[in-house]
Amino acid sequence: MTAETPAPSRADSAAPTASQARSAWSRRIFDVVSRYGFVIVFFAFAVFFALRADAFLNPSNLVNILEGNAVLLIAALAMTLVVASGGIDLSIGIAIDFGGWFAIIAMRDYDLTWASALLVGVLAGAAVGVLNAGLIVRLKISPFLATLGTFFIGSSIQQIYTSGGGQVPFREMSESFRSLSTGAVLGVPTEIVIAAVVGVVYFVLLERSVHGKRIHAIGLQRSVASVSGIRVSGYLVFVFVFASATVALSGIILTAGLRQFTPLSGFSYLLDAIAAVFIGASMHPQRRPNVAGTLLGVLFLGVVSNGLNLMGLDFNLRDALEGIILVGALALAFANRNNRARAVSI
Amino acid sequence: MNATGEQHDADCALRMEGVTKTFPGVRALDGASLSVGRGEVHGLVGENGAGKSTIIKILAGVYHADAGSVSVDGEPLERIDPASVHRLGVRFIHQEISLVPHFSVAESVFLGQEQTGRLGTAKRAMRERAETFLAETLGVELDGRALVRDLSVAERKLVQIARALIDGRAKLVVFDEPTAVLAAAEVKTLFTAIDTLRRAGKSMLYVSHYLNEIHQICDRVTVFRNGADVGVVDLRQPQQPQVRVPEIIRLMVGRDIGDLYPQRRRSERTRDALEVAGLDDGHRLRGVSLTVGAGEVVGLTGIIGSGRAELVDSLYGLRKIRAGKITVDGEPARTNSPARAVRSGLALVPRDRRNDGLVLDMTVADNVNLATLEEVSTLGWLNRAAAGRRGEELMERLDVRPRGSHAVSRLLSGGNQQKVVLGRWLASQASVYVLDDPTVGVDVGARSEIYRLIADLAQAGAGVLMCSNDPAELLGMCDRILVMVRGRIIADIAAADTDHEHLTALATGGAEAA
Ligand SMILES: Nc1ncnc2c1ncn2[C@@H]1O[C@H](COP(=O)(O)OP(=O)(O)OP(=O)(O)O)[C@@H](O)[C@H]1O
Ligand SMILES: [Mg+2]
Repeated sequence: MTAETPAPSRADSAAPTASQARSAWSRRIFDVVSRYGFVIVFFAFAVFFALRADAFLNPSNLVNILEGNAVLLIAALAMTLVVASGGIDLSIGIAIDFGGWFAIIAMRDYDLTWASALLVGVLAGAAVGVLNAGLIVRLKISPFLATLGTFFIGSSIQQIYTSGGGQVPFREMSESFRSLSTGAVLGVPTEIVIAAVVGVVYFVLLERSVHGKRIHAIGLQRSVASVSGIRVSGYLVFVFVFASATVALSGIILTAGLRQFTPLSGFSYLLDAIAAVFIGASMHPQRRPNVAGTLLGVLFLGVVSNGLNLMGLDFNLRDALEGIILVGALALAFANRNNRARAVSI
Repeated sequence: MNATGEQHDADCALRMEGVTKTFPGVRALDGASLSVGRGEVHGLVGENGAGKSTIIKILAGVYHADAGSVSVDGEPLERIDPASVHRLGVRFIHQEISLVPHFSVAESVFLGQEQTGRLGTAKRAMRERAETFLAETLGVELDGRALVRDLSVAERKLVQIARALIDGRAKLVVFDEPTAVLAAAEVKTLFTAIDTLRRAGKSMLYVSHYLNEIHQICDRVTVFRNGADVGVVDLRQPQQPQVRVPEIIRLMVGRDIGDLYPQRRRSERTRDALEVAGLDDGHRLRGVSLTVGAGEVVGLTGIIGSGRAELVDSLYGLRKIRAGKITVDGEPARTNSPARAVRSGLALVPRDRRNDGLVLDMTVADNVNLATLEEVSTLGWLNRAAAGRRGEELMERLDVRPRGSHAVSRLLSGGNQQKVVLGRWLASQASVYVLDDPTVGVDVGARSEIYRLIADLAQAGAGVLMCSNDPAELLGMCDRILVMVRGRIIADIAAADTDHEHLTALATGGAEAA
C-alpha cells in the first residue's frame, strides 16, 4: 500500500549528536579496514619489498611473479567455484597430477599429438571430478569427506603405478607441448595467457552468468535453490567436474615446464589455493568467494614469497606470514559479519 | 489508569520511552514508547517494518538502543544484556525460530537451563517434564526425543514457546507473532495458556498481524507506525470488533484500506489445472485426491499432523510418494524433485521462509529473480540491469520496504521477506501456484495487496491452491475449501456454504462434513 509517509528518508532527518557522529566515523573506518585491510597490507608489503630489494620492481621480476603463480591461480580459480557452491575440493592435487601424468603417457607411450595429449590430460582430471561428484550427489557424502577419500585413492594409484613415487620423465617432448609452459603469445608468456583466459572464463561463469547466480544460491542456501526449481545435483556435478578439468590444465603446464611428471606434486597447491580463495572472500561485502578476490589472494602469496626470496630471508617465513595474513583477514572480515549476523538471526 | 495509557512507573511491568535505533541507512525506531501494565496482555501492532521486532530485541539485549529508557517493574535498566533481562523474569518468543536442528525436543526446551541430577544432567526428568508441559499447557503430543529438524514449523514454534515458559519464573512474556505458523485449533490452546498466565498475574506483550486475535485477548494495544508509537487503544471497553479493528487499522496505515478481500469474478470452471489422485506416502498421507480448476482458488486447511504439510511437500517433490498420480494441465507431472515440479508448471511459496524461501545473504533482486533467471538473460549471460529493474518493479507492486533491490534480504523485516518470496513466483508463468501460508506475518495493507495479486493470478487462468490456517482468509479468498484430518481430505466445501466455526470444528474433527 502507499501510506503517505515515505519510510526511507527517516534516517536523514536524524540530527546526529557529536558522539553519534564519532561512533559513525569509527564504524566507517572499521568497515573500510575490515574490507580493504588486506589490500592495504598487500600494498604495504609491496612498498616494503620495493624499498628493501631493488630488484623487486624490475619489470622482469614482476613478470616472474605472474608466471610463477599462473599454476596456482588456475587451481585457486577452480577452488573458488567449488567453495562458491558450498563445498570444498581436497582432491585438486590429484586432478593436477592426473592431468600431467596422463598427458605424458599419451605422448610417450601412445605417440599422440600434443593437442590430443592435452585433451587426454584434461579428461583424466575430469574423471577425478566425476568420482567426486558421484560420491557427493549419489551417495550424499559431504564434499569434505568425499574429496578426502578421492585424495587418498588418487595418491595411492599414483604410488602404485610409479613404483612408490618415482618420476616419469619425458625429455623428448615436442616443442609445441613444451611451449605451453615456456612459450609466449605476442610476447606474453603462455602460462600467463592461459591463466588469464581461465580467469576470464571463471569471471563470466561465476559473476556474470545465470549459472553463477544459481551456484552462489546453492552454496548460500541450498534448500531455497532447490525450492526455486534449480537442478542442484546437476549443478554440483558440473562444479566438481569443471573444477577438476580446470586444474588438470595446470598439471599439464607443470609437466610441460619440467619435462617430467613428479607424483603427488599437485598437493602443494591445495592449501595455497584454499588460502587465496578465503582471502579473496574476506574482501567481498558478503564474504563470498569471488574471482577478483582470488586473483588478489594469489598475487599476494606470490609477492610475499618473491619478496622474501629477493631479500634473502628465510623462505620458510612465507608460510608463517601467509598463516598470519589469512587468519587476520578472516578475523577482521568475520568480526564485522558476526556483529551483523548475531543482530538479526537470534 | 485511563485509555491513553498514562501510568505510573510502579504500575508498569514494562515501560520503554523515547527509544531510537538506527541501522545503516534505516531508522527502525524513532522515539518509540511502550508501556505494559502489571497483569495486562498488551498488544503491539504496526505495518511490516514499523519496528515491532526491533523494540523487542532492544528489550532482549540483542540490539542496543541509540537513545531512550527502559524500566522493568519500575526499575530502570542501564545497560541491557540478555542474561540480566532473563534474571528479571522477562521471556521472549521471538519471531524467528532459533533452535538447533540436531537437538532433541527435550534438549531444546531446556537449552541453557538444564536440570541437573546426581549424575550430571537429568535427561529423563527433563524429557518427561518437556513432554508433559507441551501436552498439558500447549496441547501438543511430542516425543521428547524427536529431533527438531524433523518437526513441522508449528511444532517448532510450540517448542520455542515451551522453552520460554518451562521454568515458571516468567513475569513478563513477550510474544512476537507466535500464531503466524499455528492453525486455528493450536491458536486456541495457546490462548488458553495465555489466559492461565494472565490469571497467575503475569504480564504479556503480544505482537500480531491478526487484529481479531488482538481484539480477542489483549487489554490494550499500542500501534506503531514508522518507528514511533501513534496511539494506544483500550480494548476493555465493550465495543464490537467491527468498530475497534478498523480504528486500529487506521492508526496503523494512516488511512482506510477498504475491502481486505478483492471482489472476484467467478467464472465457469472449464478444465483442471491440477489433479491429484490417490496420493499416498505410506506414512502421513492416505490416499489424497483433489482437483484445482484453472482460474480457481482452492483453500486447504488442517492442524498439525493432519498431513497438510506433507501433502504440499509431496506435490512439490520434496517428499517421496508411494502411490498416486499428479496431473498438471492435463499432463502427468513427474514431481520427484522440485526442479521437475517447476518444469511441469508448479510454483511453491514455502511456509518456512527463512530456510526454504530466501537466500538471506543475497540481494532482494537476486532472490526475486532466482526462479526465472532465464528471463533476464541472453544465452546464460545475466542482464543485470533487467534483473534489477524487475526486482524494483516487484518491490513496488508488493510495497517492500525499504525499497532498493540491492538490499540484502537478511535485513528486511519478517513480513517484507515474505513479500519477496511471493514476488519470486509472481514473476514466473506457472499453471498451478501452491501457496503455503502466503500471508504469514504480512501486515493488513500488504495483505490486501497480496490477495489482489492472487486473484489476478486466478483471473489469468492459473489454478491456486492456498494452504492456510486463517479461516477468515480462506473464506474471503477461496472458491472451495478442503479440510484435511489425519492424512485424508474429509471435506470439500464451497466457501459460501461454511463459516469460521464450522471450519475450525471440521479441522479438529469436531464436526461432520456437510
Ligand atoms: N539488523 C538490521 N540491519 C538493518 N536494518 C534492519 C535490521 N533489523 C531490522 N532492520 C530494519 O528495521 C526496520 C524495522 O524492522 P522490524 O523487524 O522491527 O519490523 P517489524 O515491525 O517487526 O515488521 P514485521 O511485521 O514485518 O515483522 C525494517 O525496515 C528493517 O528492514
Ligand atoms: Mg517483526
